[in-house]
Order: sequence, then structure tokens, then C-alpha cells
Amino acid sequence: MATGPLRFRTPHIEELPTTGSRQAPGFAWVAVSGAQDDPAKNWGTSNRKRARASLGGPTDQQREALSARQQREVERKIRDLNSDNSKNAAELPIPKKEGGAGASTVARAGKTPNTKKILGSGKTFAHYLDDEEAEIARTGRRDVDVEAPTGAQRPSKTPLARRKTREESSMSGSPAPITPVAPPALPRISQALSFGETTTLDAEEEGDDAVPPLPSSAEMEALLNAPPLTYSQARSAPPTPGAPPPRRFCETCGYWGRVKCMKCGAMTCSVSCKEEHDQSKCLKMYA
Amino acid sequence: MARQKSLPSAPEASGHLADKTLIIDNGAHTLKAGLATHLDDTPPNLDSCHIIPNVIARSQRDKRTYIGPEYSDCLDFGELAYRRPVEKGFIVHWEAEKAVWERSFLHKDDAVVKCDPEETSLILTEAPNAPVALQRNADEMVFEEFGFAGYYRTIAPTLNAYAPSPFPSTATSVSGVPLECLLIIDVGHSHTTVTPLHHGRPFQHAIKRLEIGGKTLTNQMKLLISRTFDVHREDHIVSEIKEDVCFVSQDFNADLERVWRGGRYDPRAVDASLLVDYVLPDYETIKRGYARPHDPAVKLRDIMLGIGTEGGRREHVLTIANERFVVPELLFSPADIGMRQAGLAGMVLQSIDALPAGFRQAYLANILVVGGTSKLPGFVQRLESELRSLVDVDEVVRVARAEEPAKNVWLGGAGMAKSADLMRSLIVTRQEYAEHGDGWARRVFAGKARR
Repeated sequence: MATGPLRFRTPHIEELPTTGSRQAPGFAWVAVSGAQDDPAKNWGTSNRKRARASLGGPTDQQREALSARQQREVERKIRDLNSDNSKNAAELPIPKKEGGAGASTVARAGKTPNTKKILGSGKTFAHYLDDEEAEIARTGRRDVDVEAPTGAQRPSKTPLARRKTREESSMSGSPAPITPVAPPALPRISQALSFGETTTLDAEEEGDDAVPPLPSSAEMEALLNAPPLTYSQARSAPPTPGAPPPRRFCETCGYWGRVKCMKCGAMTCSVSCKEEHDQSKCLKMYA
Repeated sequence: MARQKSLPSAPEASGHLADKTLIIDNGAHTLKAGLATHLDDTPPNLDSCHIIPNVIARSQRDKRTYIGPEYSDCLDFGELAYRRPVEKGFIVHWEAEKAVWERSFLHKDDAVVKCDPEETSLILTEAPNAPVALQRNADEMVFEEFGFAGYYRTIAPTLNAYAPSPFPSTATSVSGVPLECLLIIDVGHSHTTVTPLHHGRPFQHAIKRLEIGGKTLTNQMKLLISRTFDVHREDHIVSEIKEDVCFVSQDFNADLERVWRGGRYDPRAVDASLLVDYVLPDYETIKRGYARPHDPAVKLRDIMLGIGTEGGRREHVLTIANERFVVPELLFSPADIGMRQAGLAGMVLQSIDALPAGFRQAYLANILVVGGTSKLPGFVQRLESELRSLVDVDEVVRVARAEEPAKNVWLGGAGMAKSADLMRSLIVTRQEYAEHGDGWARRVFAGKARR
């Protein structure tokens, strides 16, 4: 019976952060096997180094998978970096300009009901984003006035995993655009188009295999008239999985980080920087 | 169904094209605004583009609030509280934006660009992938609150296609005719976007956005400088430091080695050519900070007391070493702060990969860099070398920065405004807006409805 803290051998589940980064991998499974993962040897371990070395997996990806707390820290730091530092600025009053008293109050509030609502609303960008996502979830398209309804085809009941892509289906080769509901399929249009393409704009390429054909004007129109992506869809994707791991720098001087502080996880480059870190910046001062 | 819009004053009956056009490139950091007209043929002049800080700032020391253009009148930039109407590139707080616009354009004595909205058309830019509600807000504010005679809203990168091309081999463009293939990298204040354009029209599914911009770089600079001296609330001063001393390194690893002091047991000589002494402004004798090469003989404490400086003034000096190139490095590897996005070169390739294969070479050879943050020295060179290392050897990669990166979008808008035919096909007049409503106007701006 374990008298120390309970150690649960759960698979390593990576918590998806709530703000963006939807392209992050869902989770990484840890292969629970081998003598070193024997829970009997780990119980009561408060030494984080030992716990980290045993809970982390053999592959690089598992070692890199940050714990949920660290991930929250990183997200918070990124949010701070992208903020306007305007904690107190929302209350900055806009001074009345000198002028006729009656005219200025009318002008401040807005001339029509629509503008009054706009000028008086205190919504931030995050509110607008959430509203838009709720709208898309409700109606299935981004802009009710601009985009045509997608009711022309029956909504497919085939699960996503079993739907054939346009390349594999027998209908491939037609220039009709794919609806914006499936944005990952859009890059595949380029292969399908250039594959099934017969008429080209460039007459010289008949004999030249190296130059790929340009799409026909119908496909160009389809591409250019496609509706814009939503704000979250337009974020650029994470780097390819083969990319080198993220670089860490020394907290004190900015050189490469070479050693990791056991208590707080910050990296420093040398003994002198590490001592500086221990004296003033290490979290053990507050914890 | 057309909703009847009620406008405060009756629109003109004829709905003709107004003579003058006000082009506003509405950025998060500054507005670039100026007038252009289609009545004469002179090419658009960069001097008519005014850069107006898009901010409302309150100074605790002066007890004054500076709106828009008044910001440059401020004598003491220390510890200013900011309020920005534009968030993440989109106009969200219209109350503040209206105050800035009114101060810049409608002020009776001191307007930066004097114009009468009832007789002026407006070209307004927005960032790509805007939430629809924000677009609707902008349309309503322009027509119903300000009452412009005509209006065209577009995403900012498309206007670059109408500006003169910086590539030396391209023929000079006729005003009103867009360039054929252009890949715009807009390195702005809130974010960086990559937009491929075909005859001035964007490929919507290939527009990508990196959430690092000038603001991120300034904040990171604040963090790094605060290791020695706390500058967390000095937004303006750190922004100036960033503009003065930062550069993009061509060989990051080598530069980092050069300025390392070494460990305790293997100290190294620091390459002093990369170090910089920055003199902070105190707004009494020194009005604007400046940088000078590092002088190790100078004792900082003496200088603080005014010993050994010119005129005996007290100087507060910061030594800036690897922050100079570590901060702009964020644009090329956002993973340094933990962001899970590819760097600038990777994002350009993601965008190009989303295009039809036949266009790949065309767009790799026509990459235009605009935006204030691209003024960092060494930026274009580094981007070009990174792209070249990621593509095949026989593909041509040409990257150029616009001559005036901050004003290039405005220049394109002015070039567009010169052509009366183009304007007539794009502009939605007040009368049409009143008849057909805002949904129709948005369809026109998206290119879905013919006028």
C-alpha cells in the first residue's frame, strides 16, 4: 500500500490550450513498459528529476511534450507579449473637443441607432472572434449575406475519416470548387486540377515536362472567388515535424541555455549566470 | 432583400464619383492617410501621405491626453498610458478611432489632412480575414457617422499591386493596372501576413498569418532590457531603442558566440563591435535617446552623475549586446518563445504550397516586403537566404522591399485613385448604400455582386 503520494500511470495526454494553436498534436501516448517505469520504484518520489526522467518517454516527441502547467505558462507569456500593455487604458476618457455643447453630445453618441450601438459597445476583439465562431457553428458559413448557402448538396453523414477525397472519388477532374467547410482539402485542389487538366494557358509546355501547367480561367475564377478563411483558420501552421526542437536561451545573459535549474526549469548558460539566477530570479524565492 | 438604411443627411441624387479620394491605410500603430484625385495625371506623391499615430495617450506627468497627431507634440514620453483603437490589426474600438479620425481629418483648425467627407470618397484598408461583424461596423461607421460620398474597403495587401514595382526588371506600371503576380509579406505592428495576389486579387485560402509583429518585438525587447533596468512601462522609449539598434543577423549562431562573456572557468573576450551604448532620454537636456558604440573605458556611475560627459550632463546609459539581434530573430523562429508556428520563411512556403503548382515559380520570384518592421537592417537578405535554402536549387527567388515600406500600401491606393474608371467600378456611393443596404455593399467589396 503506497503511503506516499499516489502515482497514476496515465498515458501522457497533452492538454490543448484554449487560445488558438489548433494544429498542435492531440496527445502523445507513452509506452508504459520496461523496468524503469515500474511504479513500485517511483512511489513517493518527490524528486522531480527522477519523476521527469521516468515519466518522459524514450522518443524526442514525448520528452518535448510539455506538462499542462508549463504549457499554460508559455501561453500566458505569449499573450503578454502580444498585448498592448493597456491594463488601465480602457478607462482613458476621450476628452470632449471644444465646440457647441449640444452638437458635441450628439456627435459623441452617434448619429444613427447603428452607430450609437457601435460607439457604445465595449466589446474586445476576443468577443468578436467568439461571436463569429458561434455564428459559424450555428449556420455553417461565415457571412450570411455574402456567401451562398451550402444547402445545394446534402450534408454528408459519412464520418470524416471515411469520406473519399476528391482525388479518389470518381468525380475528380471537375473544376467545381470545394466548399469552405473542409479547408484542409483545398490544397489538394492544386494536384487534382493540374492532374486532370487538359487546356492550359501556356502553349510552350506541350513538350516540356518540367513546367507544370497553369490552371484554366474557370479554375482561376473559382480560386479567386473563394470566400476568405476565418481568423483562426488563417493562422500559419506549426513547423514540419522534422524541424529541430525549440531553442532555449540563458535567462541571465541570453546565450544558449545549457543547464536547467532543477527547481524552476529555467535555463542558464554557465555557473556565474546560474548563481545570478539562484539569487534573484529563481522561483524558489516565492514558492 | 434590401434593407432601407436611414442616413442622417440625404445623399446626393446623382451618385457621381467624388473628385477627391481620401486613402486611409488603417494600421495598428499608425494611420497612413492622404488625399489623391483622379482629375490630374501627376503620379502620386509620397509627401501627401501623412503618418498619424493611431493612439490615445495620457501622460501622468503632463496630465494631458494626446489624440492621434497630437502624440508627436508630447514633450515627455515617459510612462505614457496608451489606448489603441485597433486590436490585432482590426478596428475594434470605434469610439477611440472616431476621436482619432476626427482630430486628424475634421478638426477645424489643425487637421492633418483637411477634407470634407460629404464630398470625398474613402478607400479604407483592413487586415485580412476580418470577422464579419467588424466589417459591418466599419461600413456603418463610414457611411452613417462620417457620411463619406463613396467608399471602398479592401484588405491592405491588395493595394500593393497598384504601387510601382520595386523589382528592377518589371516595366513601370500604368496607374490603375495592377501587377500580375505578387506575394506580399506585410510585417506589421500586430502580426505578419503573407498574401499572394493575382492581378490585384488575393488567393483567399493561401493567406497566412504569423502572430508576431512589431509590438511583439517591442515587448520582448522590454523583457530583455528589464534584466538590467526596468523599462516595462516605457513603450515609446523601448520602441525607439528597437528601431535604432536592432538588426537581423545573417548568422545567428556566430553572432551569439561573438558577444558571449564566457563561463566562469572559460571567460572569453567579447567582440565589442557588436555592443552598443544607448543613452536614454531624460526629456530635460536629452530629448531623444541615441546610440553610440560601446566604450569600455567609460564608467557608468560617473556618467550618471555627470562626470566626464559633454557639457557635464547626466546620462543614463544602457549597454545592449545580444538583444540587438536576438529580438528580431523571433520573426524567423517563433519557437524561441514557445509559439507553435513556423517562422517567416516556412510560412511563405506554406502559402506558396497552397497555390496551384504552375504558379510556384512566378510567386517565388515576386516577393514584396512591406510594413514598418521590415525596415530592420538585414531583413530582406536574411529572408532571401532562408527561402533559398528551403527551395530547389533551380528555382529563382527574388525578394524586394518597397522603397517606403510603411507608405507602400497608401501609394498603391493613391495609384488606384488616379484611375477614374477603376474607381467607378469599385466605389460604393452613399446613395447606393442607402438603397441596397450593407449586405449588398459587403458582397460588392467581396467581388460577388456587380454594380
